[in-house]
Amino acid sequence: MNNFIINLIPGETFLHKLSGTTKVRLFFVLIVYLIMSFDLRLIVPVLILGIIGLISLKPKLKSVRYIIIFVVVMNLVNILLYYLANPHLGMLYFGHETIWFQFTDHYIVTYEEVWFLLSRFLKMIASFLISLDFILAITPSEFAAGLYSCKVPYKICTIVEMAFRYIPDIARDYQNIKVSMQARGVELDPKKTGLIKRIKQNILILIPLVITSFDRIGNISNAMDLRGFGKGKKRSYYSEHGETPNDRKVKVVYILLGIFVVAYIIGRVFFNVSEVWYPF
Amino acid sequence: MNKKTTLQKFIGVWNTKTIVGVAIGAALFGVLMNFGSIRIFTNTSLTTAMIVPVIVGGLFGPVPAAVAAGVGNVIADLISGSGFWFDWSIGNAVLGLFIGALPLYGAYIEDGIFEIKHMVIYAILCIVGCAISFGLVTPVFTYLWYGGELTITLYQSVVGSISNIIVLLVIGIPVLKVLASRNSRGQNLKAE
Repeated sequence: MNNFIINLIPGETFLHKLSGTTKVRLFFVLIVYLIMSFDLRLIVPVLILGIIGLISLKPKLKSVRYIIIFVVVMNLVNILLYYLANPHLGMLYFGHETIWFQFTDHYIVTYEEVWFLLSRFLKMIASFLISLDFILAITPSEFAAGLYSCKVPYKICTIVEMAFRYIPDIARDYQNIKVSMQARGVELDPKKTGLIKRIKQNILILIPLVITSFDRIGNISNAMDLRGFGKGKKRSYYSEHGETPNDRKVKVVYILLGIFVVAYIIGRVFFNVSEVWYPF
Repeated sequence: MNKKTTLQKFIGVWNTKTIVGVAIGAALFGVLMNFGSIRIFTNTSLTTAMIVPVIVGGLFGPVPAAVAAGVGNVIADLISGSGFWFDWSIGNAVLGLFIGALPLYGAYIEDGIFEIKHMVIYAILCIVGCAISFGLVTPVFTYLWYGGELTITLYQSVVGSISNIIVLLVIGIPVLKVLASRNSRGQNLKAE
Protein backbone atom coordinates (compact mmCIF):
# COMPACT_ATOMS: atom_id res chain seq x y z
CA MET A 1 0.00 0.00 0.00
CA ASN A 2 2.82 2.43 0.75
CA ASN A 3 5.56 1.20 -1.51
CA PHE A 4 4.51 3.20 -4.53
CA ILE A 5 5.14 6.60 -2.95
CA ILE A 6 8.91 6.71 -3.01
CA ASN A 7 10.94 5.21 -5.81
CA LEU A 8 14.64 4.59 -5.45
CA ILE A 9 15.47 3.96 -9.10
CA PRO A 10 15.05 6.80 -11.63
CA GLY A 11 12.46 6.16 -14.32
CA GLU A 12 12.44 6.78 -18.05
CA THR A 13 9.96 9.63 -18.72
CA PHE A 14 10.61 13.32 -19.39
CA LEU A 15 10.15 14.42 -15.77
CA HIS A 16 12.20 11.52 -14.40
CA LYS A 17 15.14 12.40 -16.63
CA LEU A 18 15.48 15.99 -15.40
CA SER A 19 18.31 16.58 -12.96
CA GLY A 20 17.65 16.77 -9.21
CA THR A 21 18.44 20.48 -9.17
CA THR A 22 15.82 21.25 -11.80
CA LYS A 23 13.14 19.15 -10.10
CA VAL A 24 13.67 20.65 -6.65
CA ARG A 25 13.82 24.26 -7.87
CA LEU A 26 10.76 23.87 -10.10
CA PHE A 27 8.88 22.28 -7.22
CA PHE A 28 9.75 25.07 -4.77
CA VAL A 29 8.71 27.77 -7.21
CA LEU A 30 5.42 26.00 -7.89
CA ILE A 31 4.67 25.52 -4.19
CA VAL A 32 5.29 29.20 -3.40
CA TYR A 33 3.18 30.05 -6.44
CA LEU A 34 0.30 27.94 -5.09
CA ILE A 35 0.60 29.23 -1.52
CA MET A 36 0.58 32.90 -2.48
CA SER A 37 -2.88 33.13 -3.96
CA PHE A 38 -6.49 31.94 -4.02
CA ASP A 39 -6.95 33.26 -7.55
CA LEU A 40 -8.57 30.58 -9.69
CA ARG A 41 -7.04 32.04 -12.85
CA LEU A 42 -3.62 31.22 -11.39
CA ILE A 43 -4.54 27.88 -9.83
CA VAL A 44 -6.32 26.14 -12.72
CA PRO A 45 -3.33 26.15 -15.14
CA VAL A 46 -1.15 24.51 -12.48
CA LEU A 47 -3.92 22.01 -11.74
CA ILE A 48 -4.03 21.04 -15.44
CA LEU A 49 -0.22 20.89 -15.58
CA GLY A 50 -0.26 18.64 -12.51
CA ILE A 51 -2.70 16.24 -14.18
CA ILE A 52 -0.62 16.20 -17.39
CA GLY A 53 2.53 15.62 -15.33
CA LEU A 54 0.90 12.76 -13.43
CA ILE A 55 -0.20 11.05 -16.66
CA SER A 56 3.21 11.54 -18.25
CA LEU A 57 4.90 9.83 -15.29
CA LYS A 58 2.97 6.60 -16.00
CA PRO A 59 2.50 5.60 -12.34
CA LYS A 60 0.98 2.32 -11.21
CA LEU A 61 -2.68 3.16 -11.56
CA LYS A 62 -3.99 1.05 -8.71
CA SER A 63 -1.94 2.61 -5.91
CA VAL A 64 -2.24 6.17 -7.24
CA ARG A 65 -6.00 5.83 -7.61
CA TYR A 66 -6.26 4.82 -3.96
CA ILE A 67 -4.33 7.84 -2.69
CA ILE A 68 -6.15 10.27 -5.00
CA ILE A 69 -9.55 9.11 -3.76
CA PHE A 70 -8.32 9.32 -0.18
CA VAL A 71 -6.99 12.85 -0.59
CA VAL A 72 -10.06 14.14 -2.42
CA VAL A 73 -12.39 12.76 0.28
CA MET A 74 -10.18 14.12 3.06
CA ASN A 75 -10.06 17.56 1.48
CA LEU A 76 -13.84 17.56 1.05
CA VAL A 77 -14.21 16.80 4.77
CA ASN A 78 -11.71 19.56 5.51
CA ILE A 79 -13.67 22.03 3.40
CA LEU A 80 -16.88 21.08 5.23
CA LEU A 81 -15.24 21.59 8.62
CA TYR A 82 -13.77 24.81 7.34
CA TYR A 83 -17.23 26.00 6.42
CA LEU A 84 -18.65 24.99 9.79
CA ALA A 85 -15.88 26.89 11.57
CA ASN A 86 -16.58 30.13 9.73
CA PRO A 87 -19.51 30.43 7.30
CA HIS A 88 -18.84 34.11 6.59
CA LEU A 89 -15.62 33.77 4.64
CA GLY A 90 -17.18 35.49 1.62
CA MET A 91 -17.51 38.63 3.69
CA LEU A 92 -13.90 38.36 4.83
CA TYR A 93 -12.40 37.86 1.40
CA PHE A 94 -14.73 39.69 -0.98
CA GLY A 95 -16.38 42.27 1.24
CA HIS A 96 -19.88 41.41 0.10
CA GLU A 97 -22.26 38.47 0.40
CA THR A 98 -25.16 37.30 -1.74
CA ILE A 99 -27.32 34.79 0.08
CA TRP A 100 -28.13 31.65 -1.84
CA PHE A 101 -30.04 29.89 0.91
CA GLN A 102 -29.78 29.66 4.66
CA PHE A 103 -30.03 26.99 7.36
CA THR A 104 -30.00 29.22 10.44
CA ASP A 105 -29.08 32.84 11.09
CA HIS A 106 -25.42 31.93 11.39
CA TYR A 107 -25.13 29.14 8.83
CA ILE A 108 -25.92 30.78 5.53
CA VAL A 109 -24.68 29.65 2.15
CA THR A 110 -23.55 32.52 -0.05
CA TYR A 111 -22.28 32.46 -3.63
CA GLU A 112 -19.06 34.07 -2.49
CA GLU A 113 -18.55 31.41 0.15
CA VAL A 114 -19.08 28.60 -2.35
CA TRP A 115 -16.71 30.28 -4.80
CA PHE A 116 -14.05 30.70 -2.15
CA LEU A 117 -14.36 27.12 -0.93
CA LEU A 118 -14.13 25.92 -4.54
CA SER A 119 -10.95 27.95 -5.05
CA ARG A 120 -9.55 26.59 -1.83
CA PHE A 121 -10.42 23.01 -2.74
CA LEU A 122 -8.83 23.29 -6.18
CA LYS A 123 -5.78 24.93 -4.63
CA MET A 124 -5.33 22.00 -2.26
CA ILE A 125 -5.84 19.47 -5.06
CA ALA A 126 -3.35 21.34 -7.27
CA SER A 127 -0.71 21.41 -4.55
CA PHE A 128 -1.39 17.73 -3.86
CA LEU A 129 -0.92 16.87 -7.55
CA ILE A 130 2.31 18.87 -7.69
CA SER A 131 3.71 17.11 -4.64
CA LEU A 132 2.56 13.72 -5.95
CA ASP A 133 4.31 14.42 -9.27
CA PHE A 134 7.38 15.52 -7.37
CA ILE A 135 7.49 12.41 -5.20
CA LEU A 136 6.89 10.11 -8.15
CA ALA A 137 9.54 11.84 -10.26
CA ILE A 138 12.35 12.11 -7.74
CA THR A 139 14.59 9.69 -5.86
CA PRO A 140 15.81 10.53 -2.34
CA SER A 141 19.35 11.00 -3.57
CA GLU A 142 18.29 13.46 -6.28
CA PHE A 143 16.24 15.31 -3.68
CA ALA A 144 19.35 15.80 -1.55
CA ALA A 145 21.39 16.84 -4.59
CA GLY A 146 18.74 19.39 -5.53
CA LEU A 147 18.61 20.82 -2.02
CA TYR A 148 22.40 21.01 -1.94
CA SER A 149 22.37 23.01 -5.14
CA CYS A 150 20.14 25.54 -3.33
CA LYS A 151 22.95 26.07 -0.78
CA VAL A 152 21.37 24.00 1.99
CA PRO A 153 24.13 22.54 4.25
CA TYR A 154 24.72 18.95 3.20
CA LYS A 155 24.03 17.54 6.66
CA ILE A 156 20.49 18.93 6.43
CA CYS A 157 20.26 17.50 2.89
CA THR A 158 21.22 14.11 4.30
CA ILE A 159 18.54 14.36 6.97
CA VAL A 160 15.87 15.05 4.37
CA GLU A 161 17.21 12.35 2.06
CA MET A 162 17.30 9.70 4.77
CA ALA A 163 13.91 10.63 6.20
CA PHE A 164 12.50 10.37 2.71
CA ARG A 165 14.32 7.09 2.14
CA TYR A 166 13.09 5.51 5.39
CA ILE A 167 9.40 6.38 5.10
CA PRO A 168 8.55 3.18 3.15
CA ASP A 169 10.49 1.09 5.68
CA ILE A 170 8.76 2.68 8.63
CA ALA A 171 5.36 2.49 6.97
CA ARG A 172 5.99 -1.22 6.36
CA ASP A 173 7.02 -1.74 9.99
CA TYR A 174 3.85 0.08 11.02
CA GLN A 175 1.72 -2.26 8.91
CA ASN A 176 3.55 -5.33 10.22
CA ILE A 177 3.10 -4.30 13.85
CA LYS A 178 -0.54 -3.51 13.20
CA VAL A 179 -1.14 -6.92 11.61
CA SER A 180 0.65 -8.76 14.41
CA MET A 181 -1.40 -6.82 16.97
CA GLN A 182 -4.55 -7.84 15.14
CA ALA A 183 -3.36 -11.44 15.14
CA ARG A 184 -3.18 -11.20 18.93
CA GLY A 185 -6.80 -10.10 19.01
CA VAL A 186 -6.51 -6.31 19.26
CA GLU A 187 -9.39 -4.72 17.37
CA LEU A 188 -8.03 -1.88 15.21
CA ASP A 189 -10.91 -1.35 12.81
CA PRO A 190 -12.04 2.30 13.21
CA LYS A 191 -15.67 1.29 12.55
CA LYS A 192 -15.80 -1.13 15.46
CA THR A 193 -14.03 0.76 18.23
CA GLY A 194 -14.54 4.06 20.01
CA LEU A 195 -12.22 7.05 20.11
CA ILE A 196 -10.60 6.37 23.50
CA LYS A 197 -9.97 2.74 22.62
CA ARG A 198 -8.44 3.67 19.29
CA ILE A 199 -6.04 6.07 21.00
CA LYS A 200 -4.98 3.30 23.39
CA GLN A 201 -4.40 0.93 20.49
CA ASN A 202 -2.36 3.54 18.67
CA ILE A 203 -0.04 3.54 21.68
CA LEU A 204 0.24 -0.25 21.48
CA ILE A 205 1.60 0.20 17.95
CA LEU A 206 3.67 3.25 18.83
CA ILE A 207 6.03 1.72 21.40
CA PRO A 208 7.36 -1.18 19.29
CA LEU A 209 7.53 1.12 16.25
CA VAL A 210 9.62 3.68 18.11
CA ILE A 211 11.93 1.04 19.55
CA THR A 212 12.54 -0.77 16.23
CA SER A 213 13.06 2.53 14.39
CA PHE A 214 15.52 3.98 16.86
CA ASP A 215 17.38 0.68 17.17
CA ARG A 216 18.41 1.16 13.54
CA ILE A 217 20.38 4.32 14.32
CA GLY A 218 23.51 2.48 15.46
CA ASN A 219 23.75 0.30 12.36
CA ILE A 220 23.12 3.08 9.89
CA SER A 221 25.45 5.58 11.49
CA ASN A 222 28.24 3.02 11.77
CA ALA A 223 27.84 2.17 8.10
CA MET A 224 27.95 5.86 7.20
CA ASP A 225 31.01 6.51 9.37
CA LEU A 226 32.81 3.59 7.76
CA ARG A 227 32.20 5.21 4.37
CA GLY A 228 33.65 8.49 5.61
CA PHE A 229 30.47 10.53 5.95
CA GLY A 230 30.91 14.05 7.33
CA LYS A 231 34.67 14.27 6.88
CA GLY A 232 34.76 16.90 4.13
CA LYS A 233 33.28 20.37 4.02
CA LYS A 234 31.58 19.80 0.69
CA ARG A 235 30.22 16.80 -1.07
CA SER A 236 29.04 15.84 -4.51
CA TYR A 237 26.20 13.55 -5.47
CA TYR A 238 26.50 10.50 -7.67
CA SER A 239 22.91 10.83 -8.85
CA GLU A 240 23.37 14.39 -10.07
CA HIS A 241 24.10 14.84 -13.77
CA GLY A 242 24.89 17.90 -15.85
CA GLU A 243 22.26 20.02 -17.59
CA THR A 244 20.58 18.33 -20.53
CA PRO A 245 18.72 20.38 -23.19
CA ASN A 246 15.46 19.56 -21.38
CA ASP A 247 16.89 20.89 -18.13
CA ARG A 248 17.70 24.17 -19.86
CA LYS A 249 14.14 24.50 -21.19
CA VAL A 250 12.65 23.86 -17.74
CA LYS A 251 15.18 26.26 -16.24
CA VAL A 252 13.81 29.08 -18.40
CA VAL A 253 10.28 28.16 -17.26
CA TYR A 254 11.07 28.18 -13.55
CA ILE A 255 13.11 31.38 -13.73
CA LEU A 256 10.25 33.20 -15.48
CA LEU A 257 7.76 31.72 -13.00
CA GLY A 258 10.00 32.76 -10.13
CA ILE A 259 10.12 36.35 -11.41
CA PHE A 260 6.33 36.34 -11.69
CA VAL A 261 5.97 34.98 -8.14
CA VAL A 262 8.26 37.69 -6.75
CA ALA A 263 6.40 40.39 -8.70
CA TYR A 264 3.03 39.09 -7.51
CA ILE A 265 4.13 38.97 -3.87
CA ILE A 266 5.52 42.51 -4.11
CA GLY A 267 2.18 43.51 -5.64
CA ARG A 268 0.32 41.84 -2.79
CA VAL A 269 2.40 43.51 -0.11
CA PHE A 270 2.84 47.03 -1.51
CA PHE A 271 0.21 47.64 -4.18
CA ASN A 272 -2.84 45.94 -2.71
CA VAL A 273 -3.32 43.32 -5.45
CA SER A 274 -6.19 41.09 -4.33
CA GLU A 275 -5.39 37.46 -3.51
CA VAL A 276 -8.86 36.34 -4.60
CA TRP A 277 -10.76 36.69 -7.85
CA TYR A 278 -14.53 36.89 -8.06
CA PRO A 279 -15.91 37.39 -11.55
CA PHE A 280 -19.61 37.85 -10.80
CA MET B 1 29.47 10.90 32.61
CA ASN B 2 28.26 14.09 31.03
CA LYS B 3 30.70 16.95 30.91
CA LYS B 4 28.97 18.94 28.21
CA THR B 5 28.09 22.59 28.73
CA THR B 6 24.48 23.74 28.61
CA LEU B 7 24.97 25.25 25.16
CA GLN B 8 26.38 22.00 23.84
CA LYS B 9 23.45 20.12 25.32
CA PHE B 10 21.12 22.62 23.68
CA ILE B 11 22.57 22.40 20.18
CA GLY B 12 23.43 18.72 20.40
CA VAL B 13 26.48 17.03 18.96
CA TRP B 14 26.02 16.95 15.21
CA ASN B 15 27.83 13.73 14.44
CA THR B 16 26.66 10.98 12.12
CA LYS B 17 24.60 9.34 14.85
CA THR B 18 22.62 12.51 15.51
CA ILE B 19 22.00 13.06 11.81
CA VAL B 20 20.69 9.51 11.40
CA GLY B 21 18.58 9.87 14.55
CA VAL B 22 17.04 13.12 13.37
CA ALA B 23 16.37 11.64 9.93
CA ILE B 24 14.67 8.55 11.38
CA GLY B 25 12.73 10.81 13.74
CA ALA B 26 11.55 12.98 10.87
CA ALA B 27 10.46 9.92 8.87
CA LEU B 28 8.65 8.51 11.91
CA PHE B 29 6.97 11.87 12.46
CA GLY B 30 5.81 11.95 8.84
CA VAL B 31 4.45 8.41 8.95
CA LEU B 32 2.67 8.81 12.30
CA MET B 33 1.20 12.14 11.23
CA ASN B 34 -0.49 10.35 8.34
CA PHE B 35 -1.24 6.85 9.59
CA GLY B 36 -1.32 7.10 13.37
CA SER B 37 -3.65 10.06 13.67
CA ILE B 38 -7.32 10.64 14.34
CA ARG B 39 -8.81 13.65 12.59
CA ILE B 40 -10.72 15.98 14.90
CA PHE B 41 -10.78 19.33 13.10
CA THR B 42 -9.86 20.77 9.72
CA ASN B 43 -6.18 19.92 9.13
CA THR B 44 -5.83 19.17 12.84
CA SER B 45 -5.70 15.74 14.32
CA LEU B 46 -5.02 13.90 17.51
CA THR B 47 -1.69 12.43 16.54
CA THR B 48 0.88 10.31 18.29
CA ALA B 49 3.53 11.92 16.07
CA MET B 50 4.29 14.54 18.71
CA ILE B 51 5.97 11.85 20.83
CA VAL B 52 8.79 11.54 18.28
CA PRO B 53 10.46 14.93 18.91
CA VAL B 54 10.34 14.16 22.63
CA ILE B 55 12.32 10.98 22.10
CA VAL B 56 14.74 12.60 19.64
CA GLY B 57 15.19 15.37 22.21
CA GLY B 58 15.79 12.86 24.96
CA LEU B 59 18.49 11.15 22.93
CA PHE B 60 20.18 14.07 21.17
CA GLY B 61 18.99 17.44 22.57
CA PRO B 62 16.48 20.20 21.79
CA VAL B 63 17.81 21.50 18.46
CA PRO B 64 17.85 18.04 16.83
CA ALA B 65 14.30 17.58 18.17
CA ALA B 66 13.24 20.86 16.56
CA VAL B 67 14.82 19.89 13.22
CA ALA B 68 13.15 16.47 13.36
CA ALA B 69 9.73 18.05 14.04
CA GLY B 70 10.12 20.72 11.35
CA VAL B 71 11.44 18.44 8.60
CA GLY B 72 8.99 15.74 9.68
CA ASN B 73 6.07 18.13 9.29
CA VAL B 74 7.17 19.20 5.81
CA ILE B 75 7.49 15.54 4.82
CA ALA B 76 4.10 14.77 6.33
CA ASP B 77 2.63 17.59 4.22
CA LEU B 78 4.42 16.23 1.18
CA ILE B 79 2.97 12.73 1.45
CA SER B 80 -0.46 13.58 2.89
CA GLY B 81 -1.65 15.95 0.17
CA SER B 82 -3.52 18.52 2.22
CA GLY B 83 -1.42 21.46 1.09
CA PHE B 84 1.74 22.98 2.52
CA TRP B 85 1.52 24.85 5.79
CA PHE B 86 5.01 26.03 6.60
CA ASP B 87 3.67 28.16 9.46
CA TRP B 88 2.73 24.93 11.23
CA SER B 89 6.06 23.34 10.43
CA ILE B 90 7.79 26.26 12.15
CA GLY B 91 5.34 26.07 15.06
CA ASN B 92 6.06 22.37 15.45
CA ALA B 93 9.80 23.02 15.28
CA VAL B 94 9.53 25.57 18.09
CA LEU B 95 7.43 23.12 20.09
CA GLY B 96 10.13 20.51 19.46
CA LEU B 97 12.63 22.88 21.04
CA PHE B 98 10.57 22.92 24.25
CA ILE B 99 9.50 19.32 24.54
CA GLY B 100 12.88 18.04 23.41
CA ALA B 101 14.70 19.87 26.19
CA LEU B 102 14.94 16.73 28.34
CA PRO B 103 18.76 16.65 28.67
CA LEU B 104 18.80 20.29 29.81
CA TYR B 105 17.12 19.42 33.09
CA GLY B 106 18.87 16.14 33.62
CA ALA B 107 16.59 13.51 32.17
CA TYR B 108 18.78 11.17 30.13
CA ILE B 109 16.58 8.61 28.41
CA GLU B 110 19.65 6.84 27.02
CA ASP B 111 20.94 6.20 30.55
CA GLY B 112 17.54 5.40 31.99
CA ILE B 113 17.16 8.55 34.09
CA PHE B 114 13.58 9.83 34.13
CA GLU B 115 12.15 10.58 37.56
CA ILE B 116 9.16 12.31 39.12
CA LYS B 117 10.72 15.78 39.10
CA HIS B 118 11.62 15.38 35.42
CA MET B 119 8.01 14.46 34.71
CA VAL B 120 6.80 17.66 36.38
CA ILE B 121 9.26 19.86 34.45
CA TYR B 122 8.39 18.00 31.27
CA ALA B 123 4.65 18.60 31.81
CA ILE B 124 5.17 22.32 32.45
CA LEU B 125 7.39 22.66 29.38
CA CYS B 126 4.78 20.88 27.23
CA ILE B 127 2.08 23.34 28.23
CA VAL B 128 4.31 26.41 27.93
CA GLY B 129 5.71 25.16 24.63
CA CYS B 130 2.27 24.55 23.12
CA ALA B 131 1.11 27.98 24.25
CA ILE B 132 4.12 29.77 22.77
CA SER B 133 4.47 27.81 19.54
CA PHE B 134 0.81 27.49 18.59
CA GLY B 135 -0.48 30.58 20.34
CA LEU B 136 2.25 32.97 19.19
CA VAL B 137 4.70 31.64 16.60
CA THR B 138 2.30 29.91 14.22
CA PRO B 139 -0.29 32.76 14.09
CA VAL B 140 2.50 35.29 13.45
CA PHE B 141 3.78 33.31 10.48
CA THR B 142 0.24 32.60 9.31
CA TYR B 143 -0.41 36.31 9.28
CA LEU B 144 2.83 37.03 7.42
CA TRP B 145 2.48 34.31 4.79
CA TYR B 146 -1.15 33.38 4.43
CA GLY B 147 -2.93 36.57 5.47
CA GLY B 148 -6.64 35.89 5.79
CA GLU B 149 -6.29 32.45 7.29
CA LEU B 150 -5.85 33.90 10.76
CA THR B 151 -9.29 33.11 12.24
CA ILE B 152 -9.12 29.49 11.23
CA THR B 153 -5.56 29.22 12.49
CA LEU B 154 -6.64 30.46 15.89
CA TYR B 155 -9.35 27.79 16.04
CA GLN B 156 -6.80 25.21 14.90
CA SER B 157 -4.30 26.48 17.45
CA VAL B 158 -6.67 25.99 20.34
CA VAL B 159 -7.75 22.52 19.22
CA GLY B 160 -4.20 21.57 18.24
CA SER B 161 -2.66 22.77 21.49
CA ILE B 162 -5.18 20.94 23.63
CA SER B 163 -4.86 17.70 21.67
CA ASN B 164 -1.07 17.97 21.65
CA ILE B 165 -0.92 18.59 25.39
CA ILE B 166 -3.16 15.57 25.98
CA VAL B 167 -1.01 13.39 23.74
CA LEU B 168 2.26 14.68 25.19
CA LEU B 169 1.18 14.09 28.76
CA VAL B 170 -1.05 11.02 28.59
CA ILE B 171 1.03 9.11 26.06
CA GLY B 172 4.40 10.83 26.36
CA ILE B 173 5.12 10.19 30.03
CA PRO B 174 4.38 6.43 29.94
CA VAL B 175 6.38 6.01 26.71
CA LEU B 176 9.35 7.88 28.18
CA LYS B 177 9.08 5.77 31.32
CA VAL B 178 9.10 2.55 29.26
CA LEU B 179 12.07 3.70 27.17
CA ALA B 180 13.96 4.84 30.27
CA SER B 181 13.40 1.58 32.14
CA ARG B 182 14.48 -0.29 29.00
CA ASN B 183 17.79 1.58 29.08
CA SER B 184 18.29 1.61 32.84
CA ARG B 185 21.32 -0.63 32.98
CA GLY B 186 24.21 -0.04 35.33
CA GLN B 187 22.37 2.63 37.27
CA ASN B 188 23.46 1.54 40.73
CA LEU B 189 27.11 1.10 39.90
CA LYS B 190 29.61 3.47 41.45
CA ALA B 191 32.99 4.54 40.13
CA GLU B 192 35.78 3.67 42.52
